[in-house]
Amino acid sequence: MKLKAIHIILFLLVFTGLDMYAQKDSIKGYRIDGDHIVFRFNKNDYLKATDDHTEERIDFEDLNIKEVFVAGSFNDWSRGKWKMKKISENIYELRKKLTDLKDFTPEFKFVINQKYWAEPTEDAPNITAAKSYDGVEYYTYNFKVLLAYPSKKGNYTFRLPGHKNADKVILSGSFNKWDEGAFKMNKTQYGWELTLQLKPNYYEYKFIVDGIWMEDPSNKNKAINEFGGYNSCIDIKKDVAFILNNFKDAKSVILVGSFNDWSETLCPMKKTIKGWIYTIKLSEGKHHYKYIIDGKWIIDPDNSVKEYDLDGNINSVKMVK
Amino acid sequence: MSKLWTLFLVIICSTSLYATEGIHLENTPFHFTKAQRVNKYTTRIPFKLVDRLIVIEGELKGKKGEFIFDTGSEKLLINKVHFSNLILHDDNISNTSGILDYIDNPIQKRIQNFSLKSLSLFNKESDLIDLSHIERAKKIKILGIIGYTILKDYEVFVDLHLNQITLTKTDTKGNTLGSNIYLEKIVDSISFRLKKHAIIIDGFINKKKAVFALDSGAEFSQINTRISKKALKSFYPKGRIILKGASDKELEVISGNLFRVQLSETVYFGPMKTILTSFLNINRAFGTKLDGILGHDFFAQKRAIINYKKQKIYFINYPILRK
Repeated sequence: MKLKAIHIILFLLVFTGLDMYAQKDSIKGYRIDGDHIVFRFNKNDYLKATDDHTEERIDFEDLNIKEVFVAGSFNDWSRGKWKMKKISENIYELRKKLTDLKDFTPEFKFVINQKYWAEPTEDAPNITAAKSYDGVEYYTYNFKVLLAYPSKKGNYTFRLPGHKNADKVILSGSFNKWDEGAFKMNKTQYGWELTLQLKPNYYEYKFIVDGIWMEDPSNKNKAINEFGGYNSCIDIKKDVAFILNNFKDAKSVILVGSFNDWSETLCPMKKTIKGWIYTIKLSEGKHHYKYIIDGKWIIDPDNSVKEYDLDGNINSVKMVK
Repeated sequence: MSKLWTLFLVIICSTSLYATEGIHLENTPFHFTKAQRVNKYTTRIPFKLVDRLIVIEGELKGKKGEFIFDTGSEKLLINKVHFSNLILHDDNISNTSGILDYIDNPIQKRIQNFSLKSLSLFNKESDLIDLSHIERAKKIKILGIIGYTILKDYEVFVDLHLNQITLTKTDTKGNTLGSNIYLEKIVDSISFRLKKHAIIIDGFINKKKAVFALDSGAEFSQINTRISKKALKSFYPKGRIILKGASDKELEVISGNLFRVQLSETVYFGPMKTILTSFLNINRAFGTKLDGILGHDFFAQKRAIINYKKQKIYFINYPILRK
């Protein structure tokens, strides 16, 4: 058979190396603070550095640190663009908007005096093997900014009671592409747990107890998976503030929407200096809504995003991501 | 040291397909499970982004999974991994030019009944291909790929703000049928031409004329290594990456950011994640000489309505979100 190959390409990003390290309970190198990412360099976290020119490994304690920079996939690995601010003797920080990271899955390192690359130790949960031009793994690691990541201040704690004799329990799910090594759970007196910072979304997950996959016994929400078994499910919601400016003379303003089944009683808004506000936890996705001001239904005058509903009515639309 | 950040990219190469495998989908219920019919002619379909791919939840022959939304694909492509045991219906061998891949002689099918919930589409040509390598890389179950043959009869609003695609049936001249479709304000538009299935746009890179194809299935934009020097000055390389195929084919390309892409006097783009690569095979597939392919970043930067019959793309502003 004559084969005529016709070429079109799709490029996929493959994340590698996540399962090649041990893990402590917190990520290193950055923290997420609202819409910002705060890069944080702590001198005590490092033992070795690599000379940019000679690739020679040197001891960190031999370095005379004058300045520290963040270099990553988001700034072309520039050694001198993103200068960090000295906070204390050993701590440097740099605050950036999350949107400054653009896309790709960002990776970064710290650069000392524009010359020495601080090498992450292998106990950080968010390291990934650095690669050469031809894809061969270097002996060094980069930090990775994870969309979901372990954090003691995270917004959801996964718990598995019992299994105290297990050597290792891994949390694996749609939030980390079912990685079988990245999120190692911590042993507690009751069993195992891990707190993650997750974006609002619907997720499926399982525990891997010494290599054996199992559902979350304490979570009744399950979905059938492709293997005929079940995955546990969670819906991570986000606090969303609905703000209506003006209408200060109104006696009552009610928030109604697809999220409260258009109830005219559930979400009475509170008066503020500028107008009215109501904060509600919403699932990821699109939500239609309106305000009822003293009995009169209106769309949000400050929101340009509107849609027809299935009956031809016009609603304002809030997108939760 | 910039080598270190190298990302590992994969070219998805399907294995060759032969006429001994096929699919029979006459009167097969085939629908997008979360589609919402706004009126007789308009359907909204929510999607999610898997990395930079637009995927739609759907169901085919009782199997639930995802469909990739791909303006660069010619036909409806069905993943043979999940439908390999179906009866061969049509032995026709066609050369598809899907956006995904080197696709060797997939078997042309006709899906007699393809429904977007209430919308029914008939006699849509489809091909059966192996998409298991995408599934492995993305860790999702992919039933198929939605391409041109499905989309061409509709005006297609690709909205990465609301993460939904709105399909509105058009008449032969491209006028949308029905009313109450969008409330969004169209702020600009450009014309395109269709070459086979591909949306071809005449634009500029660094004020130098350039011919683009628009491809929602391309996670990263691409430019031809043979573009002019002036245009190439707008490409800021970041490093080399290896594109690896499922059949161990490897290709080293340069990745970076492409600046100063303009499609008209008023329609221009911010930096796009772009790969510099040879277009030898791509040009053969599209049957025209291209300088670039506009991928995910096109839609990420512009809310766009594609009208295939009028051969126009309309733009809607992203809202300014209150913090």
